[in-house]
Amino acid sequence: MSDETKTITLTVNGESVTKLVDARTHLVDFLRGELGLTGSHLGCEHGICGACSVRLDGDVVRGCLMLAIQADGASIETVEGLTASGEVADLQENFVERDALQCGFCTPGMLITAAELLREAAPKTREEIREFLSGNYCRCTGYHAIVDAVETTLTQRLEKSS
Amino acid sequence: MANSEDKGFGVGAALPRKEDKRLLRGKGMYVADVDIPGTLDVAFLRSAHAHGRLGGIEIPEGMEDRVYTAADLTRVNPVRVEPSVPGFKPADHHPLATDKVRFAGECIAACLGANRAEAEDLADALIADIEELPALHDPVAAREDPPALLHEEWGDNVYVQLDISGGDIDSVRDAPIVVTRDYRMNRQSIAPLEPRAVLAHWDARAEELVVYLSTQIPHLMRTGLSQMLNLPSHQLRIIAPDVGGGFGGKARLMPEEIVVCAIALDTGKPVRWLEDRREHLMAAPQAREHIYRVTAYADSDGIIQGIDAELTVNAGAYALWHSGPFMETGMAARNLTGPYHIENMRCRTWTVATNKPPLGVYRGVARPGACFAIERTIDAVARAVGRDPLDVRMANMVPAEQMPYEAVGGMKFDNGDYPESVRRAAEMVGYDDIRAQQGGTAVDGRVWGVGLSSYTEQTAHGAAEWTRRGSPIIPGYESATARINPDGTLVLLVGIHSHGQGMETTLAQVAHEELSIHPDAITVKFGDTAISPFGFGTFASRSMVMSGGAVSNACIVLREKLAAIAAHHLQCTTEQVRFADGEAQSDGGSIPIAELARIAHLRQDGLPDGVDPTLDATATYEPDESTGVFSYATHAAVVAVDPHSGAVELVDYAVVEDCGNVVNPMIVDGQIVGGVAQGIGTALYEESVYDTNGQPLSTTFADYLLPGATEIPDIKIGHMVTPATFTRFGLKGMGEGGAIAPPAAIGNALSDAFAAIGAEFNETPYTPRRVLDALERAPKA
Ligand code: FES
Ligand code: FES
Repeated sequence: MSDETKTITLTVNGESVTKLVDARTHLVDFLRGELGLTGSHLGCEHGICGACSVRLDGDVVRGCLMLAIQADGASIETVEGLTASGEVADLQENFVERDALQCGFCTPGMLITAAELLREAAPKTREEIREFLSGNYCRCTGYHAIVDAVETTLTQRLEKSS
Repeated sequence: MANSEDKGFGVGAALPRKEDKRLLRGKGMYVADVDIPGTLDVAFLRSAHAHGRLGGIEIPEGMEDRVYTAADLTRVNPVRVEPSVPGFKPADHHPLATDKVRFAGECIAACLGANRAEAEDLADALIADIEELPALHDPVAAREDPPALLHEEWGDNVYVQLDISGGDIDSVRDAPIVVTRDYRMNRQSIAPLEPRAVLAHWDARAEELVVYLSTQIPHLMRTGLSQMLNLPSHQLRIIAPDVGGGFGGKARLMPEEIVVCAIALDTGKPVRWLEDRREHLMAAPQAREHIYRVTAYADSDGIIQGIDAELTVNAGAYALWHSGPFMETGMAARNLTGPYHIENMRCRTWTVATNKPPLGVYRGVARPGACFAIERTIDAVARAVGRDPLDVRMANMVPAEQMPYEAVGGMKFDNGDYPESVRRAAEMVGYDDIRAQQGGTAVDGRVWGVGLSSYTEQTAHGAAEWTRRGSPIIPGYESATARINPDGTLVLLVGIHSHGQGMETTLAQVAHEELSIHPDAITVKFGDTAISPFGFGTFASRSMVMSGGAVSNACIVLREKLAAIAAHHLQCTTEQVRFADGEAQSDGGSIPIAELARIAHLRQDGLPDGVDPTLDATATYEPDESTGVFSYATHAAVVAVDPHSGAVELVDYAVVEDCGNVVNPMIVDGQIVGGVAQGIGTALYEESVYDTNGQPLSTTFADYLLPGATEIPDIKIGHMVTPATFTRFGLKGMGEGGAIAPPAAIGNALSDAFAAIGAEFNETPYTPRRVLDALERAPKA
């Protein structure tokens, strides 16, 4: 049993949050349970499937492998935040176009990871895209359409910026 | 059908999915996202032993109120599955163990906490006194020479022994070519990305138990829970919100679900259980574990005259509600002759109980095993007669001109050109070019091989087929309510569920086809027993045909009523009314459906005599023939194998399939690729490994390997279209097919790669270790 608690302050999707949390609460449980940000999902709770991926100070992390108290002072972005900011609007559009989601459970984590790849703004082969996404499991789509959607978005962005 | 010129939204259109928007924004609502204040979490104490006698359960002092054991579940009936299959032995399955535990992971006690962590702390503090018994892990040993009995009253460990035969196998015994092989498709998990989940609470106002459940079959779950909880159905409401994948894994009533409901009834508080992945890998329904010995009798051209087989299926410790495990075995046996005109078959089958989790149904159900066995056998026969497997495969196939054809196992193939699918799949991977290059190792030091595999997929079968199987429940139809609102928008209420299949879109397309209402003005609702008529749910590749047919029927009723109202106002006959662009049209004019809807609801003075107000129709649908329509496909796999490490790379993969007419080609392609990826998992990666004590060794995603983006290649797809003759719109189901053929296609490709030394690949998954073993054992190694 754990009675330890700690007050943490962090920025979540641009808003400052201060909360008292159990020391053993995982970051993703905190986001989902305390803040109602249920877009981040739990597929394994042991760091393999990527469904819980969120962005912490700009880097993609597994929300199930971190404690909420470790995020004290950090800036977190979830799929809700990425949606609101419009950062992944084109990617989301291409997911629809290409049918890159089925049950949708992996989708938020997939978007977070793909957004990371897109931010690198460098040309990538399909193999490199697959490699980049290899830490995110999807049980439904067989990945083909996801790779297509990411590839299309990347191509569109590179064309726009050139 | 509506006389709509506009095919942009109807049957056949690649309409983007209506469900995507919420899912892409993190606004899906899965059971774990449901927030009911005061919810208590449940954690289970599970058996650490595979087999044993359960003595006392030690509960820390003062914690008794937070712990439920079997003794506390006084109002719960045990699950007892009794299919109408002669000789099937039933057994009581208590949701919390009573006197015995029969697999590692079986639920013994349920612990309550304010959150999962507290509930788990308590479960960890419990001690179950278990006197160990010998564990059964291998099904052949469990039936032939058992060191113990699982269900003592049976006298053996066999749920049911059945012989399935057709023709006369003894008439072909002196065939010139006799090939015998042993095959083993190992046990695996189903592993939808969302684990199982249930939240139940008593709604005092409605006087009902509301159960949020991650399930494919909400109405059937209500039926089952009603029986087990002694609670009448009008006091049970099942809500299956967004469901993060099912694949069959959420189509059986499970002990945890019963227990959570019972505790919610007992405490009056909201109670939930969220499965973690470890629990999923050790206690959720598992799949496959088929063991075959197949003997094929063939002539010197490789034309197979008969198949004599033995099949043992490891069904695990308990029979799951509603149908138990017998269907797995019977379906495998009846599909064992594949798409071939093999006239004599005998298959002896045993469905065996062991100390492993219960067998469920997983995409493809039984057929991945049957396909693996027959397709590997086809290749073995081809090698034995010195012909290319492609030629022997096509030569044995039921040709188009022989359709319809009743296969020896009783499958009534309806139509299609099976051999053409082989030819085209081979062409798509450059079969001839690969052949031309073979004969040495390729430049990269790896050995290349190409393999084919064909199958048929019986779908949308109705009463005749389910009755024949002895199913306790006959899911021979589906139902739908179509309701046009006063403003002309349409709501469809259906009893199926959609958890990736895109039914919110495709059913809207069907309704558009009938009524010409724009899909944006159509809402498809499902997953709530309080709102839709009774329906069976989504499994067995049935929903598009069955629920699509029901939606079509309900919309036709509305269309006729709309036509009567429109004719009255357009001053023509109902026959002269046609529907397009959301309007009723005649040669003399048109009137929007929205206006007809307004009249039907708000201005009944505008209704013609004899026409009742409102636009609300419920209809059912069952195909005209209930033996099923058969989709079919051929898969072609190209592998490159490193003979030193045993690593297998899938270099190319093609599918040529025919599922009749298609409602949404984009969704069909998605189902194919997704199915193939799961089949590749079965073929190369996924295995629920148990040690000889029945201890599970694959309890995390680090040990149980799901294929990731780097393991699945781009999948090439070729379509053939032979419309079904006895389903609405000529559709055939196709959701499972992709998963059926990969283990066989890849096994054939591996065996092809090493044909020179006679290595064969007859056990899945083909891990590097098994590949190396096969190379070592090869006759000419
Ligand atoms: S839930 Fe965190 S990686 Fe799977
Ligand atoms: S869409 Fe279901 S897990 Fe990816």
